[in-house]
Amino acid sequence: MDNFVNILSMISLVLGSFFIFSGSLGLLKLPDLFGRIHAAGLIDTLGSGFIVLSLILYSGFSLVSFKLLLIPLFLLFTSPVSGHAIALFAYESGLKPKTKVNKK
Amino acid sequence: MATKQKHSAKFLSFIVYFVVLFLLWYILSGYLKPLLLFFGLISVLFVSWMSYRARAIDSDTFPLKLLLRLPFYWLWLTKEIVKSGLSTTKIIWSNNYSPELIKIKASQKNSTGIANYANAITLTPGTVTIEVEKNDLLVHALSKELSKDLQSGEMDRFITGLDK
Repeated sequence: MDNFVNILSMISLVLGSFFIFSGSLGLLKLPDLFGRIHAAGLIDTLGSGFIVLSLILYSGFSLVSFKLLLIPLFLLFTSPVSGHAIALFAYESGLKPKTKVNKK
Repeated sequence: MATKQKHSAKFLSFIVYFVVLFLLWYILSGYLKPLLLFFGLISVLFVSWMSYRARAIDSDTFPLKLLLRLPFYWLWLTKEIVKSGLSTTKIIWSNNYSPELIKIKASQKNSTGIANYANAITLTPGTVTIEVEKNDLLVHALSKELSKDLQSGEMDRFITGLDK
């Protein structure tokens, strides 16, 4: 049983690392700022989420797991704010995304 | 009657706020000694009193109904994040970059609801809210698939449903 939880924790750690890697790759690869914000968002949500999940599984059910749960909870509020602030400022100062505007 | 009801609602918010703060204090400290619990109680009471004095606790900043539905909302949000995160990862690994700029309507009534909706859009990878003008959100989406998902309005309905 203990072994099983450890394996789950490892899998989730690898998944988290994979998403952080993908996000960093996207940060370098995508052509404009707006695309890069999405890549950073991937790191903030899935990357950190899976890493915290793996840490919770590894530490076992205790007070520490609640403390760890607070990390994604704070990220839940702060990461969209920073993403939105960057996007809004770029848009307001005249940087247009590389796309056609599709109004609906 | 109405003022009395308002008063008791305020009192209830205060109690819930106090309990949430105390839980946070306990989670962060982990002490169970009576003396330290007492000190924690005093500091939490002081902070809640200050928030009350600063009129920081009212139905807009601290919606009670929302609080009960929050766990379900977070579970649902996690599902959405995983779903759109996978498609964002796919786009990053394949060279398939065709973003869209779309305007969508938010059907939430109050500012908390709209902020919540815009936040949820930005939080799910692949879509970012750029601008909010009353009920119109300008959203940058990483692909057609993601923007279609948003335009279907499922997310909008869910978040409006939270506030009923």
